[in-house]
Amino acid sequence: MRAKRSEMSAGMSTELLSIEPKGQARATLLLINAIRLRIQQDVQEAFTRLSQGVWVAASKQAIRLLLESLPHRPSHQDMRVLVLESISAPNLNLLHAHFRFVAARETGVKFLPSEELSGALEAPNRADLFIGGQVTRPDLLLYRGNLEPLTVPRSWFRARGGGPKPDFNRFAVTDFGQTVRLGDYEAAADAILYEFDEEYRTRAKKRLREEDKSLGGAIRRLRLQKGLRQSDFPGISAKEIARIEKGLVKEPHATTLSIIAERTGVSVDQIHTY
Amino acid sequence: MPFELKIPPPWRSQGWKVKVRDRERVEPPHVTILHKTTAWRLELRGGEFLDREPDPGRVPHQVIDWVRQNIEVFRSNWDRMYPENPLASRRPDCEDDESQEK
Repeated sequence: MRAKRSEMSAGMSTELLSIEPKGQARATLLLINAIRLRIQQDVQEAFTRLSQGVWVAASKQAIRLLLESLPHRPSHQDMRVLVLESISAPNLNLLHAHFRFVAARETGVKFLPSEELSGALEAPNRADLFIGGQVTRPDLLLYRGNLEPLTVPRSWFRARGGGPKPDFNRFAVTDFGQTVRLGDYEAAADAILYEFDEEYRTRAKKRLREEDKSLGGAIRRLRLQKGLRQSDFPGISAKEIARIEKGLVKEPHATTLSIIAERTGVSVDQIHTY
Repeated sequence: MPFELKIPPPWRSQGWKVKVRDRERVEPPHVTILHKTTAWRLELRGGEFLDREPDPGRVPHQVIDWVRQNIEVFRSNWDRMYPENPLASRRPDCEDDESQEK
């Protein structure tokens, strides 16, 4: 705790905080680089000093210490908590009152195996990794390494011709959070985030070595991302779509862009972000 | 089912994997080199890394050489898995994709 005091005081980055009470035989989740909170004072100080943090309570003792140390009034700081042991519904509700996001095994969320979970939580790119999730009727609910939830429609996980169908009964996150597995079917976390998180998409494009930055290139990437053919745009010929994608039409008509946006399920303003 | 070619020792035991998954960002065709929490995309047409970050220099050259030695296997599997975006579809002088899809 003391070794990390200066970082906590700065309160600038999202710290990883592991609640590991004194007397606990050993940490149930090995987090090497986390700030360790061992006594009530540590927890209370962290609430006071930090503006944001990812908290981990991996044992019953840790949950007890956290619950006993909650401030009287919920703060408005950006705190998130991962609960890996059983917790009662009232206590879970209490955590929801104090934390912006709560991911709890108790609610049926399936998480990465321990070693991979530790790795994903400690990774600098943890926001771009999935640490677990839960299958619901219309959507797949996924948790990122910063504990932000993301919902993905089941229909997005479409089978390829001749490929396996996604089996939602066999959901798992694997590859240290880089892959979502649905039976024999695997989807890249990168592809999911690129589709459903505009901020990620913007960052991903910046990382590219070289890229076709034209509107045509964006339309091509968007079309392929949505699994559409050039002939799948009512009112626009396949030949015209091909001309646009090749950059032979520099400024497509507004009506054309509207049709492309409607067919791909994005707004006209979002097209260029692909 | 993803296409994964088992990487030889000692890289496999150190956690290195090379895959084409069932749902990838499809443009452009690539394989993903995975090592724990990090992934690199290697383009299948020219065999070069697609992204500036993460630093391609962190991938052992033996792993890169192995991928490039097997690039034809990855190419054929990409085309099998993503027939709507085959390797042949985006050459600068290529014909319309649509004509190739038919």
